[in-house]
Amino acid sequence: MRKTADIVIIGGGISGVTIGYFLLKHGAKNVVLLERDYLTAGATGRCGAGIRQQWGAPLNCRMSQFSCEFFENAQDELDYAHGIEFHQGGYLMLATTENELEQTRKNVALQNSLGIASKMLSPEETKEIVPLLDTKKILAAAYHHKDGHLNPFHTTQAFANAFKRLGGEIYINTNVTGITTTQGKISGVDTEHGHIATTIVVNAAGGYSQAVAALAGVDLPLHSERHNILVTEPVEPMLSAMLMSFSLNFYCQQVPHGSFIMGRTCPDQPNDLRITADSSFLEAMAKTITDVLPSLKNLRILRQWAGLYNMSPDKHPIYDQIPQLPGFYLAAGFSGHGFMMAPATGLSMAELILGLEPTLPWKQLGFNRFQSGELLLESSVV
Amino acid sequence: MLEKTGVPTETQIDSAFPNETRLNEGPVAVIECFQPIPCNPCAMACPRQAILPFADINDVPVMDNDKCNGCGLCVMKCPGLAIIVVDINWSETKALIKLPYEFRPLPQKGQILHALDREGHPIANAEVINVIVPANKTPVISIAVDKDLIKKVRNICIPEDNDSIVCRCSDITVADIQSFIAQGYTSVDELKRITRLGMGACQGRTCIPLVMRELSTALKKPISELTSGTHRPIVKSMKLGDVAAYGGKS
Repeated sequence: MRKTADIVIIGGGISGVTIGYFLLKHGAKNVVLLERDYLTAGATGRCGAGIRQQWGAPLNCRMSQFSCEFFENAQDELDYAHGIEFHQGGYLMLATTENELEQTRKNVALQNSLGIASKMLSPEETKEIVPLLDTKKILAAAYHHKDGHLNPFHTTQAFANAFKRLGGEIYINTNVTGITTTQGKISGVDTEHGHIATTIVVNAAGGYSQAVAALAGVDLPLHSERHNILVTEPVEPMLSAMLMSFSLNFYCQQVPHGSFIMGRTCPDQPNDLRITADSSFLEAMAKTITDVLPSLKNLRILRQWAGLYNMSPDKHPIYDQIPQLPGFYLAAGFSGHGFMMAPATGLSMAELILGLEPTLPWKQLGFNRFQSGELLLESSVV
Repeated sequence: MLEKTGVPTETQIDSAFPNETRLNEGPVAVIECFQPIPCNPCAMACPRQAILPFADINDVPVMDNDKCNGCGLCVMKCPGLAIIVVDINWSETKALIKLPYEFRPLPQKGQILHALDREGHPIANAEVINVIVPANKTPVISIAVDKDLIKKVRNICIPEDNDSIVCRCSDITVADIQSFIAQGYTSVDELKRITRLGMGACQGRTCIPLVMRELSTALKKPISELTSGTHRPIVKSMKLGDVAAYGGKS
């Protein structure tokens, strides 16, 4: 294991590998990524992997626009033979209450003003896109044809391979046991396999970012929430668009392989980093989905699992340097949409660390907003 | 050791072998049967009474090595496949081992195979010298191996076609798995995530042991040191509609 590095990234999920990739692409050298288990072992490998540009806050619209365009061209940019399975079958946000309908209309207007070609659909138009849908509860839906979902494992691997081709080094099965400081600045990282001297550490540990920050004595305004998900047996393609509804509390997609993947937010989930599966989720999810897509009732569930949403106070990520500890950077608090924002995360963090001009409005995502009380509001988070 | 892995200790193996003088005198049966169980076909099989009569059916077999001529009748009779015949002086450089073999297809005379150790790892190549297929008994395969391997080689494996499907739910072949292992995916969980093996209807019941064998061979680690990956609920697949109906009642 190497003894020194210019930059050490902690976390081998999608955020860590994208940050590594963009750092090297923008001229950084000697960048090392440390992962406790293996790439995608945390939230990245557990997520629903939906990609959408339909947001209620301009910042998220910009970030996701950039990310979606990146994913569209990722095949060429990252040169990954297998492909990342980006399926742009559209994304439907179903509205079932008057309030939700109102908010959805506002969001679509905002998105259109930013160049995102989302549109409102009547229940009949929605059913044309998803014939399986029972529209009795649905007032309308917002639809964007360029949204979709992709394969988180291959996407992470594609970034990791590109990172390594540019000279980056990845150490898996390498737990970080300490973060060392000298005169109030970062001086290195202790791992179970040895010490790496460095002046820059990037905390991209997702659900475990609070624990990583605590190694340096830093308390973050973040907490991790358990979210459950299930997958069914693979069947013939019958659902091209990804479905989501805040009021009905679910998202659902059919991946190219044929399996349906679905999740919802459950009450009373532990926030102690437990990721064991919850049977109450299974019942609630089955009930929700068979109401909306009744013909799925004969589809067999194969497996359920859970992962961590790393929640921030305003459900927007934090991209910043820890004010009291120069050299210690944070990219966390994604609140359940770190995967789809990953290219924006990678670029923004690289610009932040290397002192480059912002391509995206990442300056709004610093710690300042918590002190000033200028929280960023987002209506569209499940 | 034997109880956990099915592999006897070196002491047990040594105790099963005749002394060097007897080994050099010609073919002889070696009975690696260490657990008292109610089983005695071997004693009944030997026309020369080289396997001493049992006082109790639970006895483990005891041999009079001088009476044995290495005919191999006991090899095809032992239901536990615990008997082999060793001819250490079969040629200048090779010993002959007669092995019981119950898989299909049977190897062909003259074919070159993998010789496997007790854990199933290929450790050498072996030439098939003879194939005996008795009616209603276990076939006996004679193979020639290096003399120093007589205490190690206990099975054979016909070299696989790398296009064999390991994961039947997602059509993943041996070649696919070997290629991903070579790319650095060195645990069942990593292979599972990148290939989808173990995520289908069988939930890994069919493929995971085969994948672990590939990992064990590639990483040169015993299977006992590998983990079989995360097992996730639900145990048996269930229809969404059935779960929804149950949720409604509770």
